Amino acid sequence: MTSTSWTKKYQPKHLSEIKGQELAIEELKNFIEKFKESETDKKSVILYGPPGTGKTTLAYVMANESNFEIFELNASDLRGGEKLREVLAPAIEQKSLTKKGKFLLIDEVDGISEADRGGLSELLRIIEFTSQLVIITANDIWNKKFSELRKKSEIIPLKEIDSKTIKNALIEILRKEKKFLKEDILTNITIKAKGDIRAAINDLQVASSLSDPSEIFIDERNKEIDIFNVLRIILKEKSDNSLLNLFDSVNKPMDEILLWIEENIPQDYNPEELARAYELLSKADIFRNRVYKQQYWRFLVYSNAFLSYGISSSKKSEKIGFTNYKKPTRILKMWMNNQKIEKKKSIAEKYANYVHVGKKRALKEFPMIKQFLLKSQVQKELRLTEEEINYLNNSA
Amino acid sequence: MTSEIWTEKYRPNIFSDVVGQDDIIKKAQSLTNSLNIPHLLFIGPAGTGKSTLALIIVKELFGKNWRENYLEFNASDERGINIIREKVKNFARTKSIGNVPFKIIFLDEADALTPEAQQALRRTMENYSSTCRFILSCNYSSKIIDPIQSRCAIFRFKLLEKKDAEKVIRKIEAGEKLQISNESVEMLYEGSEGDCRKIINILQSTASISPIISPELVSTVISNAKPKDILVVLDYALSGDFKNAREKLLEVMLKESISGQDVIKAIQKEIWNLPIEPELKVRLTEKTGEAEFRIVEGSDPFIQLQALIASFVLAGLGKG
Repeated sequence: MTSTSWTKKYQPKHLSEIKGQELAIEELKNFIEKFKESETDKKSVILYGPPGTGKTTLAYVMANESNFEIFELNASDLRGGEKLREVLAPAIEQKSLTKKGKFLLIDEVDGISEADRGGLSELLRIIEFTSQLVIITANDIWNKKFSELRKKSEIIPLKEIDSKTIKNALIEILRKEKKFLKEDILTNITIKAKGDIRAAINDLQVASSLSDPSEIFIDERNKEIDIFNVLRIILKEKSDNSLLNLFDSVNKPMDEILLWIEENIPQDYNPEELARAYELLSKADIFRNRVYKQQYWRFLVYSNAFLSYGISSSKKSEKIGFTNYKKPTRILKMWMNNQKIEKKKSIAEKYANYVHVGKKRALKEFPMIKQFLLKSQVQKELRLTEEEINYLNNSA
Repeated sequence: MTSEIWTEKYRPNIFSDVVGQDDIIKKAQSLTNSLNIPHLLFIGPAGTGKSTLALIIVKELFGKNWRENYLEFNASDERGINIIREKVKNFARTKSIGNVPFKIIFLDEADALTPEAQQALRRTMENYSSTCRFILSCNYSSKIIDPIQSRCAIFRFKLLEKKDAEKVIRKIEAGEKLQISNESVEMLYEGSEGDCRKIINILQSTASISPIISPELVSTVISNAKPKDILVVLDYALSGDFKNAREKLLEVMLKESISGQDVIKAIQKEIWNLPIEPELKVRLTEKTGEAEFRIVEGSDPFIQLQALIASFVLAGLGKG
């Protein structure tokens, strides 16, 4: 019996073997073509998608097929600063002396934590200076900290792989391994994988080695609950102690769960329930803050309890019927607004310096002064840029 | 070149042009003539002439070289005392140009500094006292630590009186060929709360619509510039519509870039005018105070405001 994992053994070596990502492959090919012909300013491409959809594989196979070498870096390398530059110098500065060109691969860039801001700016610097193509993989790139990176990069999404494709891949592997599993077990493995083909192949390998393959589903209890079910359980069902562990099995950070609950309480609750529920939400937020401020993690218990059991118990009776829970939009709106408000801020700053007041005061005065900031002589006097002038004209 | 921004265009350049604040002007003038001024502390409400007086002193002292010998910054805009010290250090390193043996540093809104930062500022003032004089400006003297107050000559600015405001308004009327009725003057003064900057800004905004400044026009301009939307938020809430109240709240906060604390302040003032029972007003004020406290403590302002709106919804139903 060999010890290689099937995921390694059956990892695609050619583009034709990568299943279910035809679109992404096409986009990546096009981009590399453009890059080679210098038809694009972008020097980096981000492949993003859920785990096990083939991001890293795609990078390696693509390199192989287009006769490039991969030079892989991980998040901790990026923290190295000086040392990193030494390692990279030959790779980024000139096309390599050997015949093969290089791709720089930064795998799982979301691994760079908030604290490693330095790592992220190091990455941006690398992209700026290198003459090689940089391939970046990530599960989620919509975090604000990646905004600069997104601007500089081509972005290619990889979809979850559909269950039919996964199942066919599993059957193919079983055939090559000369093993047999019952149809319903294959189906269950596929469903459990939720588009993650790596997880499916791992499960397949384990299941086929068990005398009773169905044992593999025993840990199904720990399966994650999606956020919609969490909302349903909290906002509709009777409160019980299992609520206290509810968030353990949600695949979302607490901050995000809080936003989902915040958004959707009024969908199910009447005014009295609402008042109580928001009071508890606000308490949950306070304790969450105390965790950060005092670095005392016990406070999380209270935050979680108010958020789950507390808000659940705020209702007088169970709720029935289906509710179409909404995605929280407030953070996005705030972000978009900040982009917009940048101009206002820069205008206010110029005005503030010019008339000897503070920037904050100038922002406060803005609605009053806007009227005459529209005059072109005033705009010239303050040396407003074209964008700033556009902002004023559009908001008039 | 004269400015097209009237607060600049009509800013007095010499002592005799300043309207009101007679005692202060006399004192400042004689200090300036002696070519030996101590550190100064200007105390008074916004728009009463603190920055203007600082600029006049500097222009009188240095003539056309004033820009080289003058550094101005605003404490509430700077990111900490260290940055201020750095700027002062760079500026104070070179000697003044001309026959005045010192340069002038004007620090606006000095009361925005924490007491610790003010201690550091005091040391900086001492270190560079041979080459620099400081003019500090603030709204409230109680927020300036005693050691600084004792090192400065103190000038207290008063709110503009109506007769002085009228002088300013009439001067601009003549300069810009406007027509301003007495009633409009009254309204400009009331709307400005004695703040001369505000008077001139309102006037310029109004004049950009029409050179005939009618009281109606003034009142429209003033009320347009005031965010009234908080009332709409409360109206929705009291009528039981939480979702719309919340949406409007977010919109107001984003569009006008009002902070959570400013919203709370507006709500707190508005409670007393709401059509609800006196007892309920007090209870809502309690809730508002608690929400403000939590925001100050660092909680997410929008979450706290939602909780507050939810209690207004309840109050609208006569409960709570």
